[in-house]
Amino acid sequence: MEKSAGTGKKISFRTLGCRLNQYETDALLTRFHQAGYVVVDSREKADVTVINTCTVTNQSDQKSRNTISHAARKNPGGIVVVTGCMANNHREKLESSDHVTYVVENPGKSQIVSLVDAHFKGEVIQPHALQGDVFGFGAVDRSLHTRTFIKIQDGCDNYCTYCIVPSVRGRAVSRAPEQVLDNVRQVVDFGFREIVITGVNIGRYTHQEVDFEGLLEKVLNIHGDFRVRISSMEPEGFGPDLHRLFGHPKLTPHLHLCLQSGSDPILLKMRRMYTVSSFMEVLDRFRKHYPDFNFTTDIIVGFPGENDEDFSRTLQVARDARFSHIHTFRYSRRRGTRADRMVDQVDERVKAARSELIRAVSAENRIRYMESMKAKDQTVLVEQTGPGGIAKGYGEHYLPVRFTWPGSEKNRFCRVVLGSVEKTDPPVMMASLLV
Amino acid sequence: MKVNVEQALFIVDEVRLLTGSTYVLRFSRNDMAFTPGQHLVIGLPGGEEMREYSVYSGNNEEYLEVLIKEIDEGLVSRQLKKIKQGDGIQVRGPYGFFLSKAAGQGENKLLFIASGTGIAPFHSFVRSLPGADYHIIHGVRNMDEAYDLAHYDRDRITVCTSRENSGDFAGRITDYLLDASLYPEHQVFLCGNRHMILDAMDILRARGIPQQRIFTEVYF
Repeated sequence: MEKSAGTGKKISFRTLGCRLNQYETDALLTRFHQAGYVVVDSREKADVTVINTCTVTNQSDQKSRNTISHAARKNPGGIVVVTGCMANNHREKLESSDHVTYVVENPGKSQIVSLVDAHFKGEVIQPHALQGDVFGFGAVDRSLHTRTFIKIQDGCDNYCTYCIVPSVRGRAVSRAPEQVLDNVRQVVDFGFREIVITGVNIGRYTHQEVDFEGLLEKVLNIHGDFRVRISSMEPEGFGPDLHRLFGHPKLTPHLHLCLQSGSDPILLKMRRMYTVSSFMEVLDRFRKHYPDFNFTTDIIVGFPGENDEDFSRTLQVARDARFSHIHTFRYSRRRGTRADRMVDQVDERVKAARSELIRAVSAENRIRYMESMKAKDQTVLVEQTGPGGIAKGYGEHYLPVRFTWPGSEKNRFCRVVLGSVEKTDPPVMMASLLV
Repeated sequence: MKVNVEQALFIVDEVRLLTGSTYVLRFSRNDMAFTPGQHLVIGLPGGEEMREYSVYSGNNEEYLEVLIKEIDEGLVSRQLKKIKQGDGIQVRGPYGFFLSKAAGQGENKLLFIASGTGIAPFHSFVRSLPGADYHIIHGVRNMDEAYDLAHYDRDRITVCTSRENSGDFAGRITDYLLDASLYPEHQVFLCGNRHMILDAMDILRARGIPQQRIFTEVYF
């Protein structure tokens, strides 16, 4: 890639929200690096700060705003580029902010390098004129993370009644299989050992005759020493035989399957396309073949109309499903969604109390699952090393593991046997290296 | 030149009143492709408020239609009822997957259960695939609400009237379902009031229809 007007300029990135945002930041980082910019940690002063925002809840908006003002204060005179879903949801407000130089909505995100280059050349490009390809980010050769992401899909057509994502990410589109497979081959050549399949609603992937399972099978058949992890999925949209693919040694036995509620009346109001019983059938189908399979989930508490009975059912399902981690959200009104117009909104104090109860179940489930995995083998991908030969990483079941491995290096696989659970916050499994 | 359906206005052709409060809005298709069961998001040009309506017309027709009930304190349903031929409206979509498992199901018997304006997606399906093996159970208060009854094969629709004895069955959908003929190969699609949907699902499951053969689209 040709060196740009910004060669030598320092650039830092901050990312909020989902794994898809993380991938897009990593890809932008790669492109800026290739263009000659010096990528620095966000704690250092930078000439350019790119903030990839989230707007899925009020709290996300607030975090995004705080991140923007912090970046502006830390880098006086520097450029602040705000992109991501908050840029779509609150563009005009952000454009009027003194902290922000450019606001780039999601469709233009892949073209931010051009925008910043133009700035340093003294040219004027209107961010809203940037029309990028939502899959035009390129392969990540340099990441802020050990694992890398492969974007296969963007947007969503489900229109769950609480969700702002269809408005800020747009229509569901799927990336051509050849592009996905080329991307995988490239990142494997770059040395990544774990790739995470990501998108907004990946179970609905469809490109001509290829569905999600078909694409996944092609990815798994690529030659190389790597494994594949699936990021968050909706519990419907994929076929009844997805579980068979998890027999492939490269596919990690973990799924983050979004439940949202354990009450059928609430699921119906959310416009979720399943019932509790059909959700549990999916879990049972997987566990029949893979008893140690790890399920994690999202739950929203305090959806409009959620009464004590609805919440009790959710709490019970959270226990019965044995999710090893529950990402808990308090329902947050999003303007323009159907749920925002529902009259029976739940008091914030009730949401706070319910959220704590779900978190407690999540913590209990986590310890129970970890205890059940004692004495079992895992293949850990080392993500951090420390003094005394300490190595940390995740096993294929997505359990955090710590062990001693003198001379260990990041981004290497090793086999360990799991030992005791260290009840830190969050808990970690101690392990011993298998020789 | 293909129209960018995400940005273009759709031109109103007709507002056809069915009752004092319910009407069919017909407007230009602008090359929009859809499958029966999907919905559109509609509002006035420049307006921030938009609402979701199932497509009512068939996918082989040259126009688009939606079925709208004017809500007393509603914003968009009242605005759209006053709209005139030639006016433009904003339309986004189509979205959703409600009848995606019904289309092309040659061997399955389709049972469509609707309350009130919930009949809209089934009207679209019937207009699109008249040869399909379906039966509709439509729950209304009175026969005035059996919208466009003449559009259906009369042998394939059962109207349940809850407030008078003028339909095929006097009573609610759920009363009818207790004794209705159900078949193991039935795929059941429910659309309309959520209380009706929840009660109907309980009855269907109790009568042996498995959950994986039941699909829902809720109207609020």
